[in-house]
Amino acid sequence: MKILTTVKKVVDVELNIHVKDGAIVEDGLQYVINAWDENAVEAAVQLKENNSAETTLVSIGGGDNTDMIRKCYAMGIENGIHIEDPALANADSSAYAKVLQKVYEKDDYDLIITGKQAQDTDSGQTGIILGEYLGLPCVSNVISIEVMDDQHIKVSRLGDTGTEILEMELPAVVTVSDSINEPRLPAMRGIMMAKKKKINVMDLAALGTSAEEVGAGAPQSEIIEFMKSETRQAGQKFEGDAAQITAQVVNLLATEAKVL
Amino acid sequence: MNPFFMSILLIVGLAIFCRTMYYKLWLLLSLEPAYRFNHILTRLKNVVIIALGQKRLVGRKKEWASGIMHAFIFWGFCVLLIRSLNLYGEGFVKGFQLPFFGEGSILGYLYIALKDIMEAIVLVMAGYAIYRRAIVKPERLHNTWEAYFVLGMIVVLMISDLLIDGTRYNLITHYGNPDHLHFLNNPQYGSEFLWTPVAVGAASLVAWTGEGANTTILTGMFWLHIITQLTFLNFLPLGKHFHVITSLPNVFLKSLDYPHEKARVLDLEDEAAWEDESLGVNHIHQLNWKQGLDIYTCTECGRCKEVCPAFVTDKPLNLYDFNESLKHELLDNADNLIKRGKLSAAKTAFGTLTTSILNTIINKSKLPVTLKAVETDPEQMEDIKARMAALNSKNVLVGDVISEDTLWACTTCRACEEVCPVTIEHVPRIIAMRQGQTLMAEAYPKELNVALKGLERNGNPWGIGYDKRADWADGLGVKTMAEDPNVDYLLWVGCAGSFDDRSKKVSTSLVKILQNACISFAILGVEEKCTGDFARRVGNEMLYQMMAQENIETLNNYKVKKIIAACPHCFNTLKNEYPQMGGNYEVIHHAQFIDGLVKSGRITLNKSFEGSLTYHDPCYLGRYNSVYDEPRSILNSVAKEELKELDRHGRESFCCGAGGGRMWMEETIGKRINVERAEEIVRQQVDNVAVACPFCLTMIEDGMKELGKEETIKTQDICELVAKNMV
Ligand code: SF4
Ligand code: SF4
Repeated sequence: MKILTTVKKVVDVELNIHVKDGAIVEDGLQYVINAWDENAVEAAVQLKENNSAETTLVSIGGGDNTDMIRKCYAMGIENGIHIEDPALANADSSAYAKVLQKVYEKDDYDLIITGKQAQDTDSGQTGIILGEYLGLPCVSNVISIEVMDDQHIKVSRLGDTGTEILEMELPAVVTVSDSINEPRLPAMRGIMMAKKKKINVMDLAALGTSAEEVGAGAPQSEIIEFMKSETRQAGQKFEGDAAQITAQVVNLLATEAKVL
Repeated sequence: MNPFFMSILLIVGLAIFCRTMYYKLWLLLSLEPAYRFNHILTRLKNVVIIALGQKRLVGRKKEWASGIMHAFIFWGFCVLLIRSLNLYGEGFVKGFQLPFFGEGSILGYLYIALKDIMEAIVLVMAGYAIYRRAIVKPERLHNTWEAYFVLGMIVVLMISDLLIDGTRYNLITHYGNPDHLHFLNNPQYGSEFLWTPVAVGAASLVAWTGEGANTTILTGMFWLHIITQLTFLNFLPLGKHFHVITSLPNVFLKSLDYPHEKARVLDLEDEAAWEDESLGVNHIHQLNWKQGLDIYTCTECGRCKEVCPAFVTDKPLNLYDFNESLKHELLDNADNLIKRGKLSAAKTAFGTLTTSILNTIINKSKLPVTLKAVETDPEQMEDIKARMAALNSKNVLVGDVISEDTLWACTTCRACEEVCPVTIEHVPRIIAMRQGQTLMAEAYPKELNVALKGLERNGNPWGIGYDKRADWADGLGVKTMAEDPNVDYLLWVGCAGSFDDRSKKVSTSLVKILQNACISFAILGVEEKCTGDFARRVGNEMLYQMMAQENIETLNNYKVKKIIAACPHCFNTLKNEYPQMGGNYEVIHHAQFIDGLVKSGRITLNKSFEGSLTYHDPCYLGRYNSVYDEPRSILNSVAKEELKELDRHGRESFCCGAGGGRMWMEETIGKRINVERAEEIVRQQVDNVAVACPFCLTMIEDGMKELGKEETIKTQDICELVAKNMV
């Protein structure tokens, strides 16, 4: 089985992100691998370990992703492709999906695993749009993948009403949730060994496409402005026994919230 | 007596002994190198104090009786060495006397008097040792037949020697000395009998048996003594009593790094090392020869396990078993290891020695290698390498020899090392094995991942955004080095002091104190990163080096000279480990600094603190850096009541359970270490416990919560007590 997995470099959301004049202040920011993509990589590596599979990852844009890709190698991924093209600067989910479609078409993959969304834009679209473009079955928010035979996998996903279990015919696309696994840390030995490993860096032309074709020149969606979301006010803590607490809460509901 | 018989005994006894020792020595030499031949005077001093002076035995209040017992047996044996030489001489030449020990000098008399009294003392002590083993049965001891056998031999040696003298005296005084036996006699110092009351006593016990019997006893005891001695000598290397031979060298060769052999700064760029899997310790041949000598020397006294927080709380870490298992692995593979060692020597020598010499080395040692080519033939090199690999033990140390739970239970508190009478270093070995697990085998507790990832990304084990590191200092008027690099001191806050809500209060208190004393200081703010202490203790040398490099670069950029560290782990790493990587600073822990401020009058305390108070020594401040007095002195200036010491305090303080990366692992086996410690504090019936480490603060406070005592016994850092009681 050949597995393709995708990784995106995102802003470390542990940091305070400042917005100025409708744009993110880059100063002091650091970038990390998108957490859900780490789950996707881990899922791919586990499938490789438990079945015979070959794993390839692809990252798109973001400048020099060498470190990130090497760490994925050290987690157990075998091949890495990095697509870097100035035209991708403002790419949206649809453009990413188009690029991925091109990558897919260059080789025959049986399964594509993506994170269910990216921590920066949180749109959760790329994997699903890719499924659509490729005309392949796609299941999102997956929490387990099991190989049934060469042609089929069984996945469970977190649905609105509970866990749904589905069988899929390969090739297929799945987007994974963070409950699917606990990503391993890259093996240190792997990090050292990965230094020698090649990363296949391509621009759109090398991929056999163009900015127009992937729609990167004229994205279907556009970022107009960044705004800082309002920070939630800290809650209030009540102390005392049950009767005292009830009295305090009732009092506040009457005087402050004025709902009583 | 009988030169022929004596020669046979000596030749056989010494030949077997030398053969055993030769083999054991070869085995040590086949292990990894360690350089231990510098600072000879310091080493001799250690031998005098620790080995000859038996410091860790007689100096331990808790077990003074057994300490004195052992010390006297040891000293007795030292004294008797001279006597033994005399007896061997006697075997060849009748009336033999060592030069200077004859009747011509007072030395001879003093010596026989000392020997006489020592034999009595050793006899009493051996009796006490047998009583202790058989009746008292201290828990730490392993009661083996070997121990009784050796004690029995000691008793035989003493009694036989006393009877040699006793019967000799009887024959001389009662029976007219028919055989012209020799005894010391000098008009100035009198006769020998006046100096040896114990032997005279022994004489009176056998005087009644008559001349013939006395003669027989004398001869019998003489040969019994010699045979027992040679048996003893040959028995020693076979078991735990090898320490009788190896202790002195082991102490002499002990690491002079403080407080123990520092972890090596591994060359992580060395590709061959990654390929050969030679980073850290995963196989027995990767121990260094001194660690091998440690294993030989373990006396199985069990002191280490008795003070070990992991063992005491029922974790599967029993240092006695740990040593035993390594010893078995070492000895079981001895033949292969020795061959391997010879190959390794050949490999190193390759290229510098001529082929013929190399051939001789290899042919003489009957190794399965034939050298056909000249120097530095890569094929030959590969061949040697492959042959060496084939000789490796099939067992991996962690998994086959000791369990993973054993390795990871250690808090690196060093209590074991502090009590070990023969200075065995357990912690460096444990760290090296953890390196092997983490770097090579990728087999470390995965629960560490969150903290390790946090360290890598944001420079702190909580993984909180690095840009929030200085938030605690908002509004306190604290400068950063970026704002003013010309301050006198850098205040190193540490991750806990920066991110943990409880510890942030300690940082705030410390700032208050420094400001009150008008100290010119600044923090690194968002530029500070974890020192990497915890990464290093869990064997993640890669992350440690990353942290250390970045911090050293920042510190050196600001030309930092003096650092006040608010955490003993940071303190220890900055002070003792950063120099290995080019970071040299004068580092002081806040307890030392505050003590200095109090003593120099830069802050005044008003001794107003109410309630009883005790102090919990943090391992990395106490045992790792010998800071015991300063915190106590501060507390005595703050509190109205005299400081109450815990049962386990100072050098033998009991760990809180957080060191060695344990802070970031669940404690699922046995009792919780912090609860064990909290219970000890509760037993002391105090109202307050002071600490000087953010991890101790968390652990002890949690322990108190677990016992429902957090309201009645307050846990606070020294800084907080000082800040509240400053004028
Ligand atoms: S360092 Fe502490 S926890 Fe580790 S083995 Fe020694 S006494 Fe036990
Ligand atoms: S390591 Fe030291 S303290 Fe522990 S049993 Fe051996 S000799 Fe005793």
